[in-house]
Amino acid sequence: MLAVLSVELRKLNRSLAAVLAIAAPSLIAAFLFFLVLRGDKAPPWDRLLEGSTTAWAFFMLPMSVTALTALVAHMEHGPRAWDHLRALPVPRWKLYAAKAICVIAVVTVMSGLNLLLSWASVSAAATIKPVMTPTGTVDVARLLLLNLKIVAAAILLTAIQLWTALRFASFVPALAIGIGGTFFSVVATSAKEGVFFPWQMPVNMLARETWRVETALALGGGLGLVALAVAIAHLARREVL
Amino acid sequence: MSVAIETEGLSRRFGPRLAVDGVSMTVPERAVYGFLGRNGAGKTTTLKMVLGLIRPTSGVARVCGVDVARDRIGAARKVGALLEAHGFYGNLTGRENLALTTTLLGCPASEIDRVLEVVEMRPDAGRKVAGYSLGMRQRLGLARAMLGAPPVLVLDEPTNGLDPDGIADMRRFLKSLPERTGATVLLSSHLLGEIEQTATHVGVVNDGRLVLEGELSRLKAGLAPEIVLRTGDDARAAALLRAHGLDVRVAESLTVALDAGDAVDPAVAGLTALLVEAAVPVFAIGPRAQSLEDIYRRVAVPAPRQAEAA
Repeated sequence: MLAVLSVELRKLNRSLAAVLAIAAPSLIAAFLFFLVLRGDKAPPWDRLLEGSTTAWAFFMLPMSVTALTALVAHMEHGPRAWDHLRALPVPRWKLYAAKAICVIAVVTVMSGLNLLLSWASVSAAATIKPVMTPTGTVDVARLLLLNLKIVAAAILLTAIQLWTALRFASFVPALAIGIGGTFFSVVATSAKEGVFFPWQMPVNMLARETWRVETALALGGGLGLVALAVAIAHLARREVL
Repeated sequence: MSVAIETEGLSRRFGPRLAVDGVSMTVPERAVYGFLGRNGAGKTTTLKMVLGLIRPTSGVARVCGVDVARDRIGAARKVGALLEAHGFYGNLTGRENLALTTTLLGCPASEIDRVLEVVEMRPDAGRKVAGYSLGMRQRLGLARAMLGAPPVLVLDEPTNGLDPDGIADMRRFLKSLPERTGATVLLSSHLLGEIEQTATHVGVVNDGRLVLEGELSRLKAGLAPEIVLRTGDDARAAALLRAHGLDVRVAESLTVALDAGDAVDPAVAGLTALLVEAAVPVFAIGPRAQSLEDIYRRVAVPAPRQAEAA
């Protein structure tokens, strides 16, 4: 499995994956930078970084998963590489599992990068406008745990996006589902049922009610892993004509 | 005779259409087997079943004795394939693309240089594949198929998109492969000339069915010989020869078809004597070289004409 994983990572070399991994968190960091510059009262660190995490979980993560899964799938669809890969003496499920692991790993790195870039942009803004230097300390452990839960809760939506992107050679179905899912997630933010909606499960990690956090985590993470296993099994078994 | 690839009653149905219909094919070891047929005749579908990429509706495919359906990975270890879609990553160099497959196959990295050397691609291996010409991609595809020195190579239309020089190079290369590497080559094409100049054995597939198979030289030898004549009066010569019960065709030249097994030299002498006696000037006479096209035309009749013939 390590060989297949290493191949998957090497394929990303000089692709647009690195650009995507940096661009999405950078947008949140840029927003935060100007937000701090516009303010007149120093906010606490926790509130700023929680705000950055919310923006990530709410909108940027689902959109990044959509783009990333489309990218890793199109790496094979574009040059029609499936026949070559699937003819090799390698269990096919490993090829798909490696892609899933890669996507989840990149999303995890992006989540961490979001925190790091947000911290850097707030620090930069505070250097320019010292009155806005955030108060309090950063609870790094809590923020990291929160972000890990967000990534875990996003596994179900990742499974749906990855399956769609790998199943269909055109990127349109995957993009349509991703944009649609994120759209409903945004317009129905306060809907109680949102906890059962895959695209809202990550942001539910920031909910105040414990049951919402637990339900979204169990469904997004637990059911997500089952969905991912089913998706991989289906993709490995189906014929690519 | 040891067998590298063998299929028994291999069939594949796509909805109502039977794309491959009971193909039983035998590819001997160290042969260059030309798998010939029109576009859509079922060549690629058959090759995909041999490679385990699609499942047969019925029948069996074996590679070096390994049943593809029962042990796909075991069979895949014996085969290197160059498929119509190359599947190279344009953002990576030729060498990096080969390195990915090397890792997946568990081959040593030295294999990359070996196969690059064989296809004469070492100088260009450091360039991104996105900048490669079609011919270079085709050669890189061959190099990738040869990684790990598999005993069988399956090549789907390897000269597609190549320029005349590239086709000639590829032809020479494929012809020499069994000698150089000991590999068996199963080569699909719809180009008769390509197969004729490359293959030692042929299989002709027509409307999904294998209608002819065998060693090319034997198949050619088994054809009824034909004698081509150039005379001063083709119409009179044709009438005269027909009057003697001969099968005569007048097209671009006058052709007399003999029966299979007839000796050519006595026939040429007899025809010459007959025409000279009748005062028909004979400018040239001799046997026509039998080609793969003659064999192909006899067996690969398009479906509507087959129905008419019946």
